[in-house]
Order: sequence, then structure tokens, then C-alpha cells
Amino acid sequence: MSIHDLMKEYIETGRIKLDKSKHPELTTYHDPCNYARKSERTFGHGYYEEPRWIVQQCVDNYVEMYPNRANNYCCGAGGGAWAMPYAEERIYYGRVKAKQIKDTEAEMLIAPCHNCRDQIMKSLRKEYDMMDVEVKYLWELVADSLVIEGVDE
Amino acid sequence: MEALVLSKREKRKLAGEFPDLCLTCGTCAGGCPVTGVDGIDMRKAVRMALLGLDQELVDSRFPWICTLCGRCEHGCPMNIDLMKMMRSARTHREREKVPGVLHKGVVQCLESGNNVGIPKEDYLFLLEDLGVELAEELPGFEVPVDKKGARILVTINSKEPFAEPEDMFFWWKIFYAAGESWTTTSDNWEGVNWGLFTGDDESMKEVVRRIVENYKKLECEYLLLPE
Repeated sequence: MSIHDLMKEYIETGRIKLDKSKHPELTTYHDPCNYARKSERTFGHGYYEEPRWIVQQCVDNYVEMYPNRANNYCCGAGGGAWAMPYAEERIYYGRVKAKQIKDTEAEMLIAPCHNCRDQIMKSLRKEYDMMDVEVKYLWELVADSLVIEGVDE
Repeated sequence: MEALVLSKREKRKLAGEFPDLCLTCGTCAGGCPVTGVDGIDMRKAVRMALLGLDQELVDSRFPWICTLCGRCEHGCPMNIDLMKMMRSARTHREREKVPGVLHKGVVQCLESGNNVGIPKEDYLFLLEDLGVELAEELPGFEVPVDKKGARILVTINSKEPFAEPEDMFFWWKIFYAAGESWTTTSDNWEGVNWGLFTGDDESMKEVVRRIVENYKKLECEYLLLPE
């Protein structure tokens, strides 16, 4: 089962409740190669729309990067590059992604992939002068948006 | 370099069925952020494979600097299976020459059940400790381990227990809020399969086999790999 299908199920069936007012920031979404383009090619379904829908259950203020979905640019750390010794090339690779993010003027970026999140949050933000962009996992955004009965009320 | 006699070249050893359909249009290289690094790009890589320069490609850094993101393949008008070709260039690299920690992680995972070698008792202690901490915020919360009949078996990215343990709270909070029946496992809980990246199908299958074994043994309904 995909994380996207599971979170979508929770939201659609009312098993979890989310509060959009917790994230007023302008937010964009990064398509990881594996969940998107490569999933489509390998399994016949690319997870393009589900994560966008989930993000927009947590935030109202949403903007797309261009290009996106199947034409999205890799963050630069895919294929294990985050764990390889070619840091200079990895950062150079990420210049395209950094520009895409900056062009949106988003204040928050959501990534549903560990590699993408680490590359963007820990490397590209610093290398391309965009420390003011907050980076979260998709499930982090959902967790931070939760309203839990008996706990938050 | 000596002239290549194409009729006498060895049969191409890199996997991929269709490189000889390449029209050399350059769509692949034109859309790739690392075109030109080390003087190579995807179009050249296809020519290298076709011309019998397989070993030169295997020995180059390019198949590792390429992130296997598949954008070139998506754009290729001849639908050439470029990812299969590039990943097989990684497969043909001698294991001890795989860059960085990736292959060491694969070996470690086969030996210890996770890529970074966290001992079982440390792992279980950490889960319990973090569970107690989260229960201060979420009354009654605990981390289920090896819970038979749970609806969802969840793997863990070893990066989290190793370096960013509190990031595990995100999913745990969601499960708590949803009232989910879930479990992790005390052995072979690693969700990051580095054999995928090193082109090591045998190790990759073994890691998957162990996860499926846990899944069957615990009679779970779904498997979730939050990667």
C-alpha cells in the first residue's frame, strides 16, 4: 500500500482531521522521481494527484513548480546520490530544482521522499541561498496539521 | 584510441533492449541537468553501449552521477529503456568499487538487518524510550513491535533511528490519530533497499524476501514502506 493511498484513505473517511489554519504559508510540492514518473513507468500508476490533494487538505495557499508531474526535475540526490562521494556534482545537479523552487516564491516545500527532502532541506537551501524556505515531508505536514480529539480539544 | 571494427565488436553486455533504435536526437541529453559532466551525457552513453565501449561506461562516474530519475527515458521518442541500461552499468561495476557507502550498506543490511548496523537491543530500547516520550503528548501511545494480526506492517528508514529519531513521530502521530492497527518488527525492519541503487538484484531480492517473511509471519494485511 502506498503512503499516498493510506493518507488519502484516512482523510476521506474522516479517520483523521486536519486544520488548514496551521499552515498559512505559500506551499509547493516536489514530485519525487520514484513516486511519480518511475512509478508510472514501472507499475502503471504515477502518484501525481494524490499527494497534491493531500497537501491541499493541509494548506489553502498552494503553487505549482514548472515543469511538474512526469516532466519534473530530479532534486539531484536520487539513485543513492545522497550517499555517494560526488557532492559537487550532486549540488550542481540540484541547481535546476533550486531555481524551480525559487521561481514559485513558495515559503514551504513538501516532499514525500527521504532523499529529496534531505537534498533540498540540508543541501540546496544552503548552497542556493534559500534558507527561508521551510521543507517538510508530506507525512510531517499531515502530522503537523492534525487535530486529535481529546488531545487538541 | 584504436579504431573500432563494429562487425567484430563483442555483443553488448549492458542490459536494455532497444539502444540500437536511437535516432541520436539528443532529447535525453538536452533535458538532463548533468549533461556534460566528465564529458559524458545520456546520448553519448547510448552510443558507447552500442559501439561496444561498455567497459568505458562501467568504469566512468557517469552512471553514478546520473540519478536514474528517468526524465530522459520519459522524453525519448523511441522509448528506449535508458534506465535499465544505466542501472546495469552500475551492476557491472566491481562491488568494492561501488562509490561511497552504498555497497557497504547492502552488506551491512544482509548481516544485521539494517543498512547502518543498529543492534537489535539498541533499536528496541530506542523505540520504547521514544514511545514513552510521545505518550506524554498522546495518552496511551506505545510503539507496537511484532504485533501479530496488525493491519499494517511498517518498515523504518534506518536514517531515522540512527540520526533523526524524532522524525518517526510524524507517522506515529498519524497512526494514533487514525486509530490504526500497525506494527514494526524487531528484525529486518529496514525499508531502504540500497541494492536498488547499486544494481545488485540478488541482495535487493533477499532484503525484500525478509520483509515479506515478516509480513506473512505476522499475518498483516498491508505493507507500508514510507520512503
